[in-house]
Amino acid sequence: MIGRFLFLVSIALRHLARRRRQTVVAVSGVAVGVGFFLAVSALMVGSQNDFIDQLIESAPHIIVSDELRSPSPQPGTRVFGQGAVELHGYKVRTEVRGIKDWSAIVAAADAIPGALASPSLTGGVTLRLGGHEEALAVVGIEPEIETQISTIEDQLRVGHLRDLEKVQGGIIIGEELASRLGVKVGDIVAASTSTSKARSMRIVGLFKKGRAQLSSNSGYVLLREAQSLLGRPFIINRIGIHLADPYAAERAAARLERRFGYKAESWQERSSEFLSLLVTRNVIMYSVVSAILLVASFGIYTVVSNSVSDKQRDIAIMRSIGFSERDLQLVFVVEGIVLAAIGVVVGWMLGYVLMEILGSLRFPIAGEEETIPLDRSARQYAIAAAASFLAGAVAAWLPARKAARVDPVDILRGAV
Amino acid sequence: MSAILEARGLGRTLPGERPVVLVHDIDLTIEPGCFTAIVGPSGCGKSSLLYLLGLLDRPTAGELLFEGHEMSGLSGDERAQVRLEHLGFVFQFHFLLPEFSALENVMLPMRRLGRLDIDEAEARARALLAEMALDGKEGKTPDKLSGGERQRVAIARALANDPALILGDEPTGNLDSHNSARVVESLLSLAHDQGRAVACVTHDLAIAEQADVRIEMLDGRIEKIVDRRVGA
Repeated sequence: MIGRFLFLVSIALRHLARRRRQTVVAVSGVAVGVGFFLAVSALMVGSQNDFIDQLIESAPHIIVSDELRSPSPQPGTRVFGQGAVELHGYKVRTEVRGIKDWSAIVAAADAIPGALASPSLTGGVTLRLGGHEEALAVVGIEPEIETQISTIEDQLRVGHLRDLEKVQGGIIIGEELASRLGVKVGDIVAASTSTSKARSMRIVGLFKKGRAQLSSNSGYVLLREAQSLLGRPFIINRIGIHLADPYAAERAAARLERRFGYKAESWQERSSEFLSLLVTRNVIMYSVVSAILLVASFGIYTVVSNSVSDKQRDIAIMRSIGFSERDLQLVFVVEGIVLAAIGVVVGWMLGYVLMEILGSLRFPIAGEEETIPLDRSARQYAIAAAASFLAGAVAAWLPARKAARVDPVDILRGAV
Repeated sequence: MSAILEARGLGRTLPGERPVVLVHDIDLTIEPGCFTAIVGPSGCGKSSLLYLLGLLDRPTAGELLFEGHEMSGLSGDERAQVRLEHLGFVFQFHFLLPEFSALENVMLPMRRLGRLDIDEAEARARALLAEMALDGKEGKTPDKLSGGERQRVAIARALANDPALILGDEPTGNLDSHNSARVVESLLSLAHDQGRAVACVTHDLAIAEQADVRIEMLDGRIEKIVDRRVGA
């Protein structure tokens, strides 16, 4: 069976070797298609991955907050849930904000392999210096855990998160805020909330300019410092979770939310608009690339179709010898696939060269030399090859069907 | 002696608004060891009959028995398999595949059948070419061979799978008298020395004269069958 297949392949190769110029044209068509697919998709997928990495790493993969997606059921409903009783006009009890039983959530999150949960407390404070006041979102964290789950450490121009542990009342603020207040590292500012009196904080680090959110109105302090500053001892209202596999975030978030009731938001949920934008981008890319490959397949169609027309007598003689219709069809389909295969290999090389060129380009962005993010994964090579083989097989199959249907008697009668 | 091929009331009509009768009501048998010539004027239907006998065309009437088996019910693939294993064709215009050498052309049917491995097939192809006095020409492509050589390659190819029946369609039609005589000699030897059945459509009087059985056709019918074998 395999021997017969190889034999038919060898006939196809002989046919192609005889029509070199057409073969070269058809192969170049596929090669250009594959090459540009690789270059374009490397750009598109590369920039997309870069973007998603930033989305993923800019904040914890899952954020559990002290919010609920719907109000918690009232005790009456809970008790008589199955009963034929409807209750109206509840006086809803005021509950203390914050995540109850948060250590259980942290334990559950830590139990996921490779995951790490970092509890934190956020709240609003006012910084005062001289007559100047600035509103600040203060985040209380455990520096040791936070450095492992977020890239905040990288955003620091001066100092380290761990410095918060070394200095009593230490705080890290942004460069912009610092310049508005006119303070430097080591200076002392007064922080107060609506309910507490002012206390002194010492600046131990500064966030880089450019990250608007961090730089202009965020401040990081130790968790217990935040709890005492905000007057909410032992309370936390946010748990950031970092996973080994960021793409497991949606499922893990749903599981945590089902179990504990608090809103658990995955990074996908937070950035769903961006992600749907990426889908559109991919649709555009793959349509353009399919068009290129479609055009390449026209070249294959032409070669195989000409080959079938030229080979009518050969087809008749092979049929009379005892080759079946399927044999003949296979010979010509193989011609198309061989053209696609050579095109794919040449296209891979072309794509590789194009990617090397793109990868060597340097762009100055915001004063820093940046390279274009490129995706050079084998997956793109495989997609290009699969699409070309499919296009080649279909393009060759149409004329090959015609070859199989040649009636040898018509040809023999005409020739005699 | 039992017939290899037997036609009973065989007919072929081209369908259409005005149907064209190619052959009609053919009864004949083709026997091993016997050289049969089918003769008649142009357009008498002798080639059409040959295509029916060679399972290249399907009859519209009658039946065709190959070694006692009815052929009309077979699928296209099954008919191709019978051609591959049991039939050999020699055509007027030789029909060698131009991309392949003489040796490779002779190997084609063997490789398609796949009973011999490549080395065995090559050895057999060389032997067949040598029988046709073509040693030394194995590597030549058809365009480097003379007309007579090409036709002898075609005969060698027809013999590749050791068929019981060789069918010729004007096998000498394109050859000069010298080459023609050699081809006829080869075909006769296939019948008389190797015991195969050989049937040829021909205009060539020399072939018709030497044939054991001569079938004369006119207007799609068999006009006369002349059997010159001893005891016939």
